[in-house]
Amino acid sequence: MIFHTASDIPRPIRLTDSTREWAFASLHGKYGDEAMRTPCVNLDHIEKFEALPDTEKYDIAIRNIAENAPVRICPEEKICGAATLGDAVYHIVPVRYRGEAILDSVSHLTIRYDKLLRKGLTVYAKDISKRLEDKTLTDSQTAFLHSLENVIESMRIWHGRYLAATKNSRPDLHKLLLQVPFSPARNFHEALQSLWFVFSFVRLCGNWPGIGRIDWLLGDYLKNDLKDSLLNESQARELLASFFIKGCEWIQSNPPVGSGDAQHYQNIVLAGIDAAGNEVTNEVTFLALDIVEELAISDFPITVRLNKNTSNALKNRIAQVMRHGGGIIAVYNEDLILQTFSNLGYSITDARSFANDGCWEVQIPGKTDFSYIPFDALQILNKVIGITEENIPAFHSIEEIYAAFCDQLYETVKAIYVSSVTQKFACKKGIWQARNTVIPTSVVSLFEDGCIERARSYYNCGPEYTVRSPHIGGAPDVANTLYAIEKLVFEDKKISFSELVQALKNNWESQEPLRVYVKNKYVYYGNDSDDVDAWHTRLLNDFADMVEYCNTQDACPVKFIPGVSTFGRQIDWAPNRCATAFGYRKGEILSGNDSPVPGTDCCGATAIIKSYCKADLVKQSCGSALDIKIFPASLSGSNGITALISLMEGFLTLGGFFMQIDTVDTQTLLEAQKNPQKFKTLSVRVSGWNARFVTLNQEWQNMIIERSSQNFM
Amino acid sequence: MLPVTKIQRFCTKDGPGIRTTVFLKGCPLRCVWCHNPETQSAFNEFFYSDNLCIYCGHCASVCPANVHTVTPMEHVVNRMSCKRCMKCIDACPTGALERCSEWLSADKIFTQVMKDAAFYGASGGVTFSGGEPTAHAPALIPLLNLLHCNNIHVAMETCGYFDPAILPELVKTTDLFLWDVKDTDERRHINNTGVSNRKIIQNLIAADSLGAKTILRCILLKSVNMNAKHLKGLISIYHSLAHCIGIELLPYHTFGVSKNGLLGQAEIAHKEWIPSSEEMKQAESFLREYVHIIHN
Repeated sequence: MIFHTASDIPRPIRLTDSTREWAFASLHGKYGDEAMRTPCVNLDHIEKFEALPDTEKYDIAIRNIAENAPVRICPEEKICGAATLGDAVYHIVPVRYRGEAILDSVSHLTIRYDKLLRKGLTVYAKDISKRLEDKTLTDSQTAFLHSLENVIESMRIWHGRYLAATKNSRPDLHKLLLQVPFSPARNFHEALQSLWFVFSFVRLCGNWPGIGRIDWLLGDYLKNDLKDSLLNESQARELLASFFIKGCEWIQSNPPVGSGDAQHYQNIVLAGIDAAGNEVTNEVTFLALDIVEELAISDFPITVRLNKNTSNALKNRIAQVMRHGGGIIAVYNEDLILQTFSNLGYSITDARSFANDGCWEVQIPGKTDFSYIPFDALQILNKVIGITEENIPAFHSIEEIYAAFCDQLYETVKAIYVSSVTQKFACKKGIWQARNTVIPTSVVSLFEDGCIERARSYYNCGPEYTVRSPHIGGAPDVANTLYAIEKLVFEDKKISFSELVQALKNNWESQEPLRVYVKNKYVYYGNDSDDVDAWHTRLLNDFADMVEYCNTQDACPVKFIPGVSTFGRQIDWAPNRCATAFGYRKGEILSGNDSPVPGTDCCGATAIIKSYCKADLVKQSCGSALDIKIFPASLSGSNGITALISLMEGFLTLGGFFMQIDTVDTQTLLEAQKNPQKFKTLSVRVSGWNARFVTLNQEWQNMIIERSSQNFM
Repeated sequence: MLPVTKIQRFCTKDGPGIRTTVFLKGCPLRCVWCHNPETQSAFNEFFYSDNLCIYCGHCASVCPANVHTVTPMEHVVNRMSCKRCMKCIDACPTGALERCSEWLSADKIFTQVMKDAAFYGASGGVTFSGGEPTAHAPALIPLLNLLHCNNIHVAMETCGYFDPAILPELVKTTDLFLWDVKDTDERRHINNTGVSNRKIIQNLIAADSLGAKTILRCILLKSVNMNAKHLKGLISIYHSLAHCIGIELLPYHTFGVSKNGLLGQAEIAHKEWIPSSEEMKQAESFLREYVHIIHN
């Protein structure tokens, strides 16, 4: 029973043997396989189902799930509730009618849990019935509120089934359920149970919410219990471990390959300041790090909010966990993000509560309807310079090219604004709302501030904030391309513009010396070289200005904010992209997120961070992610910890946004590719999310292997 | 001006914290195990890497001395006739031909190493290595002063073989010496490095008396110096120093051999000298009773 590490130091052992064995089984797919055997609840027996309105279909589905989803209680678990229906793993409501899935679910949000823990679910029912007294509600608003009631009733049914199942066999769990989640949690164990129960019900219904700030949610409960000697630290760790292990319940032993199965946006955010400005870091912060360090659980990708006052003790622990590899821990620059949010007009208390959408795009949890719209900036540039066109346009300077590119970039941004905001939202009778009917989302709407008060659903301007974010992909590729054309054509005059475009159309064929020349002789983004980095900075600034301009052109309160990402799209885009002016051939995998193009960075992690931080990332209010891969050998010994901490501190000083350091070595990855059976739990984190390496298809695996390692001996 | 073979950022093995290491060319020793052979000679040299060559012949067309003979199948390099003009390097599109070093001013080096100042934190900084950095003392010491004045931690990796007259200035501006003690046996030292270890030990003791903080870096080569007598010798040197903070053991490796090939030299890998990790552990546990061992 070995939990994989990239470090030469073994993972510590703090948990009991049975907990570790349970974790091992869960990580190896025991419960995921079980879920696949009961993929959904069948609704064929519902009369005239097809003729029902969507809300009613949804209400029936949720109730049927609550009544029929298998109940699972593991002997080792210390909290109960389980998302046991396999279709939920694929982001749909796990019901089928005549063999077909019929309802979509929701992700990219972190719902609000603190109210639930402090007040209990019963309060929500009271709030709803009070709201229903309003005689001015429209029919659809009333129907929505009844649908929220249906969610609570369904949860009561599901809760009742667990009460019955635990009554004789597990009095410890039964006792917890008598209190939570319907009444307020009184101690750490109850709070943990309440949190898990609601989280797993929301997941059971096919949604993929984040967890958010678990240390902030649970820290006070644990502090009090420790003070009153109701628990000691190792007991608390065992309890919290149950949460993490149960969170692996969707891992399958032989998952279908694709873009990574191992996480369902169930992100956790640790540390940082609370609404009053006090540091949150507490016992739960460290216990969470203990657990992922020991069990190598990557299914709750963790991002730590670092600020200039973050304690050395915490940074030290983060570095220790990071060094084991798997990219389980990433970091945010909290000071920069708070500044960003202040610029966006969020209140200081809302801003300070930030978590994320499940990847790394920051949002106000429990108050935000969020979605992002990605696009490929490199393809826009390729079109402008004529690689994808029949005729090659004439350009006489790099500024002319850039101006033409910016025109097209703005057209793209504007089109995204129109399709995601203008065409989606309208002001009717003074209230902004969805222009057309939206899909039912009552399960998550229940846990979003504003939905009950406004009697509007998650997709219908119910939450406090609605955010739409265009995400620029290929920004480093565009910067490199502009720089290479500037040097090659207009400065060094090695080739004319039209000859270069022709060469790119021909995939550099018969121009090999020139191709290797641009590839080797020019210094590209990621090497702390001001000339090329200036293009990257300029591009991101102009993009942010365009997005902001769209946002100010009407009175719509939807926040339209810029972000920089590709996640994994550089893989999907690769076959349709052309050869690049910086010497890459058609089909090669280019930059991911805001990271250097694989193979172009040769000055080490510090230079990568510097290139990235030169852009004014405060302007990228949805976030910009930097992925760095470091060879474990350069992080060994006590100086490895010092080095990781110094990287984090430099990242803060220089104004980074989000950084994820992975420490998997190429050799291990190659071995895992050959012997997937031996490396089932090996996890890597790519562009903001985790994946178990063996679940990735060959292209993905190769991309990770290709990402340059910072290996210096 | 200083002959720099490389300025390498994000080094974590050349002293505490994150460091930028500046490799200088030219060394008074000729260690048979040298892993940076390009830094031995003080002359300009170039690397040629056959697997990067696309046989375009650009180098041959600019070379005034017929060093390069290129056919579509082959690239023969005749270094004997090289005038060291380095025109071929600029002509090569692929990076198959690469300069071993560049002359840089102290100001230029300062600008380069300050690029990572945000990452040095409380412990990191700049390390000078080589080659033998002290071989360039007159040009180097003003740079050390400049770094010192800017509160940048400076480490000096040295073989210890230099004119003791530079010691006072050197110690004043260097925060930490990574001092090679390659062998305590004088005869073996002469055989394997070309010089006696006497001056090295004398300089070390003199530096210590001036307050120099040192880490002794000791290469271990199986069946060369991996014996109790040498280890005991190290212990006694360690104990003769007041400011030595520990000994770092370095197992011999053969990575440097690849660079011999790139320089057109014979590639001789002494695999029989590579100690096993078990043997390294044994040596370490023997020493650990008497000295502080540093793991970097």
